[in-house]
Amino acid sequence: MTSEKFAPLDPVIHSPVRLAVISILASASQAEFNFLKKATETTDGNLSTHLARLEEARYISIEKTFQGKRPLTACILTRKGRKAFEEYLKALESYFPHPQGGEENPR
Amino acid sequence: MNDQEIRQEIQIIKSMIDKTKRATAESAALFVMWGVLISLALVGSFILGRLKLYHWEWLNWGGITVIGWIASVFYGIRHQRTTPVRTYIQNAGRHLYFACGAGFLLVGLIFPAIGVYSHEAISILISCVTGIMFFVMGGIFDWPFLKTVGLGWWAGAVGMSLIRPEQRTLVYTFLFIAGYLIPVIVLKAKFDRERREA
Repeated sequence: MTSEKFAPLDPVIHSPVRLAVISILASASQAEFNFLKKATETTDGNLSTHLARLEEARYISIEKTFQGKRPLTACILTRKGRKAFEEYLKALESYFPHPQGGEENPR
Repeated sequence: MNDQEIRQEIQIIKSMIDKTKRATAESAALFVMWGVLISLALVGSFILGRLKLYHWEWLNWGGITVIGWIASVFYGIRHQRTTPVRTYIQNAGRHLYFACGAGFLLVGLIFPAIGVYSHEAISILISCVTGIMFFVMGGIFDWPFLKTVGLGWWAGAVGMSLIRPEQRTLVYTFLFIAGYLIPVIVLKAKFDRERREA
């Protein structure tokens, strides 16, 4: 297998925390900041930095509201973000060795 | 990128999807509430049957349906506000509850009240709607057991249509215990286990 066969991985998603956030948002229509923090096992500051990077790339949108006096930050995957995640999964697939003469990517 | 790194990335994706799934496990509170309400309606139906007050059946079922419907809407709004993560499956489930709630309201209250059919058909038609609810829920949550329960409700509806109206309450009570209370207890145990693991 040569390196030409490998699809490039999107640098915006290619980070453990950002990949984790995108994976959650791809299976949910909306997720709160605290849920993301707990799931990704990261700190407030670190998560905020990664969310800002994803928002900058327009992969997610962030909505800030209040529930009573408590501020709520909800993250939503945008259409562009979903497409980027799908491309990322396809690119990741290209790194798997395909059996010679067999089916591609047996599941 | 080596094999180890690829496996790590796949592991992250899988782990996050699992965490999201566990966090959105339903509490089954709505099912329990509907179970209690339908039990009350069955008791009411039995009492009305004994007193030969069949013409009040629509009020019995209709009242329960309205109470359940209002409680479901309030529960849905509250749950939507407090849940940390919302999934498409939850959205589909909420739409299903709403649709079945509307179905119960129409077949249990509005149609009999305006004389579209007799009150004797209410339990049969409610069984049909309940069957739809369980069958679709089985599809949404990918759980064949619930689909079988749905089929049981439809079979029960056919069975009830073949017997005398005064015997229907007894059949319906059996159907309710076998096709609702037992699945709800199993479902609640499953959801509680998923919540503990989350």
